[in-house]
Amino acid sequence: MEGGRIHGCGAYPVGHDAATGRRGDDVVSRSRPIALRRCGITPTRATTRVVATQLRAFQISKSYGSTIILSQVDLSVEAGEVVALTGENGAGKTTLLRICAGIVRADSGTVRVGGRIGYCPQIPGLFELLTAEDHLVMFGRGAGLSREEAVERGHAVLAEFDFPLNDRTLTRDLSGGTRQKLNLALALLADPSLLLLDEPYQGFDRGTYANFWDHCQAWRRQGKAVVVVTHMLAELGRADRVVELAPHPARTHHRGRR
Amino acid sequence: MRPLGRVLIMAEMHGRDLIRRHAALGLLIALPLSFYLASTGPRENGAVSAGGIGMAFAVSGAALFSILSSREVDQRLVLTGYRPVELLLGRLVFLGPLGLAIGGGFSALMAVVSSPAHPWVMALGVAAVAVQSVAFGLAVGALVPLELEGTLVLIGVIGVQLAVELRSVVSKVLPFYGPRRLLASSLASKGPIVGPLIQTALYGIALLVITRIFVSRRVDIERHDLLD
Repeated sequence: MEGGRIHGCGAYPVGHDAATGRRGDDVVSRSRPIALRRCGITPTRATTRVVATQLRAFQISKSYGSTIILSQVDLSVEAGEVVALTGENGAGKTTLLRICAGIVRADSGTVRVGGRIGYCPQIPGLFELLTAEDHLVMFGRGAGLSREEAVERGHAVLAEFDFPLNDRTLTRDLSGGTRQKLNLALALLADPSLLLLDEPYQGFDRGTYANFWDHCQAWRRQGKAVVVVTHMLAELGRADRVVELAPHPARTHHRGRR
Repeated sequence: MRPLGRVLIMAEMHGRDLIRRHAALGLLIALPLSFYLASTGPRENGAVSAGGIGMAFAVSGAALFSILSSREVDQRLVLTGYRPVELLLGRLVFLGPLGLAIGGGFSALMAVVSSPAHPWVMALGVAAVAVQSVAFGLAVGALVPLELEGTLVLIGVIGVQLAVELRSVVSKVLPFYGPRRLLASSLASKGPIVGPLIQTALYGIALLVITRIFVSRRVDIERHDLLD
């Protein structure tokens, strides 16, 4: 059940390795050499603590009312690995990611992580009347960063995504793509070892979108474990592994939250 | 220092957020003022009470929306490292002084216009309204985390407090009974002070405990064990 293979109640969903084309049954966990090459960011203790496996979700089950969303799902992600989590609408991708982040409690199963988690939700939860810098300071303080550190780190991350730095525009006046860049930067701010990204590129223009996948490769080289929920089939080859999550076969309706 | 720093940052951000809401800031002052000015005249006693209730509407509303508007952000902040109680304290640190500042100005106005028998007791009553309003608004936001439903609960409770007589049984179980008694005492030649203050404090603490419990339940996250 290791190596990101997904188990359900039956033998329905399996992962496959996008790079080799092997089925999930054949996929084995592998460790890559970890190069902590940073983009002007000092690594924290969380990232220097080398743990090969960064996420191990075991036998995760979750239902909303009578609707079964996840049933005995396993997911394991190594340091320096990019995993694309795919599946049709309602398959439970977001729920699984939220459980891994700790935002939603599973009905059963366990999640263990290798270090700090960076979570980027599908819909950016931001204060409409604060600026990007305000957000960096607020989120940074939660992670133990001083005001200056948070702004410096945040700007370094935002610069990578061509965010207009020193912009005092309120969040409510930012475009959808720019808000999403800020959303992503907040997930990266504390230099997490595990990145959980739920369709983080929504609203990105073509260049930024391509840039995002380039960054996935950079994060991999830095030794981060990255899980990206995606529907973009054209980019699946850029992930180390593709894990497909199918809706539970017992599900007869699609009510409730996903 | 770190927990205090997180509380202060949250207070600062709530302040930045509200300062940019110019219309809301204007209404925070205009609402109690309009309640008060609309009621001045032959029934002076009623005007002070109405002004107090107007302030309860305004400050409770601000507290309610501070908790509802950050619903989606709060859990993410907890994931980042904040504790739920720090998010709550951040709001209190900002909203408490804000309510007291509005109350201070309002007390000065009422002291001049209504000439109460005991101006300092009236100021105490207005301050009690302000503090209780913060606790009440936060509690409603924690218990009913939906905009329309929460607003209706807030309007309902404060509206009933305004409508019923101070001596009625219903009035005694509502959150602004203590502050209303203080305002009444300020206008009469003699009236209780310590009792209403204790009542207000106990009710306010109870509201904050409820808020603490429900906010934690709503925004707390599961902290996973670390892999070996």
